[in-house]
Amino acid sequence: MLLAAYVGYVGLGAAVLRALERPVELQAAQHLLQERWELLANHTCPQPPALQRLVEGIIQAYKSGITLQGNTTSLGRWDYSRSFFFSISAITTIGYGNLSPSTAVGRIFCIVFALFGIPLNLVLLNETGQLMLLGVQHCAHHLEEVFHWQNKTFLMMKTCALVTGLFLSLLLPPLLFCDKEGWSCEEGFYYSFITLSTIGFGDHVIVMNPDHTCPSWYKNVISLWILFGMTWLALVIKLCINFLD
Amino acid sequence: RAMCSGKLQTGLLVAGYFVYLLMGAAVFQALERTAEKQEKMAAAQMKKAFLQSFTQLTVVEMEQFVKNLTEAIQNGVYPVGNESQFEESNWDFSNSFFFAGTVVSTIGYGTLHPKTAGGQIFCVFFALFGIPLNIVFLHRVGKMLSLLCKKLGKFLYEKGMRKKKIKFLTLLFFLVTGILVFLCLPSIFFQKTEGWSYSEGIYFAFITLSTIGFGDYVVGKNSDRNYFSYYRVLVAIWILFGLAWIALLFNL
Repeated sequence: MLLAAYVGYVGLGAAVLRALERPVELQAAQHLLQERWELLANHTCPQPPALQRLVEGIIQAYKSGITLQGNTTSLGRWDYSRSFFFSISAITTIGYGNLSPSTAVGRIFCIVFALFGIPLNLVLLNETGQLMLLGVQHCAHHLEEVFHWQNKTFLMMKTCALVTGLFLSLLLPPLLFCDKEGWSCEEGFYYSFITLSTIGFGDHVIVMNPDHTCPSWYKNVISLWILFGMTWLALVIKLCINFLD
Repeated sequence: RAMCSGKLQTGLLVAGYFVYLLMGAAVFQALERTAEKQEKMAAAQMKKAFLQSFTQLTVVEMEQFVKNLTEAIQNGVYPVGNESQFEESNWDFSNSFFFAGTVVSTIGYGTLHPKTAGGQIFCVFFALFGIPLNIVFLHRVGKMLSLLCKKLGKFLYEKGMRKKKIKFLTLLFFLVTGILVFLCLPSIFFQKTEGWSYSEGIYFAFITLSTIGFGDYVVGKNSDRNYFSYYRVLVAIWILFGLAWIALLFNL
């Protein structure tokens, strides 16, 4: 039930943001294309001021996430899957920033959306965390019954679960990213951690390369990974906090 | 005696927290600065070459230029202006410190981020220990804030109010003053110092305090403006107390 509400909520946010941002984005991209062709038209003698303007224009475009390569600009940043990903990045407080609302309405919506979405996300993570711990407990009990081991089973199960979580969250995904995103393995690991800890710089972001088309299972796997990976990392950090206190 | 050791603990925690940040900033700076210098030199050379060949500029050459430029920008180097801006670094100490803070608080704006492999790996481990440290630290700061609330509650109790009403009122008071002090007032402040509109200020304040931290708006990044010397320190203090307030809100 909770999961359905969560997914529905994220989807709603994605749809609204897309509706708000796309027209503005198209306009800005057109404007930049025009400027660039004008510069090329006078290409026999681009003066330093013209160069300055070109550079500043490119910077501005880059900041708004538009890259001027080839004949067209990379339009369609706010397509559905990217908007969805953006909603996730807002609610989980990852906040990559490679995509962010530029209209005033989009921003206000973003604030309200996050205001309700973040607690929702926290509740979900909490539930998932409890489920995980319960699962570990069950396994420990099972092992006790089957093998007649005594006190050490729970501790062993916890360590086992910790290591499994480490593999699934931080060590295996980089290999996947290496293949699909073209990053080095170290970059994949760095990206995984920065995402799961919700720091989310945005220098590396998956699914954002317009030249790549990814299989449909990829995005679903990524969403699952984010959810469970974040839960695992949150549990690990809780452990660290208990240790510090 | 117990109170004394409690205070000592808190003091050590505060000291430890700042030492941690300072150390992190120093390491980030050490790791990133040389790489940044190289990028800058490459960017300057690129511009030289472009200007030398502009009499016979073809579309292909222009494309190449644009591509090179985009790569430079992606690496965080903005090749606008002349050589005099070479000396300013993205990774000077105050910027690195601010960066370390954004890592540990999980805000993560992203306008500054490590590009060397060493910097990235260090960032991961720095955060792994820094985030719990940050949470424990905020918890203590939050407790300080909640003491104020308790005092208010006591005052109202002595006036003869019922407990439920007191709880509701203190929560409301906490909420409203927090919104004023941490969201509304700073936005007015940013209007003056950053030249943003009021709504942009609120957006920035919210995105920062919720630790989402997109990075589309960041303080102290506008090269046209003069910031007074303790601007960033003030902003850091605001972020700290604002985060503690939010953490406390969740606990209430």
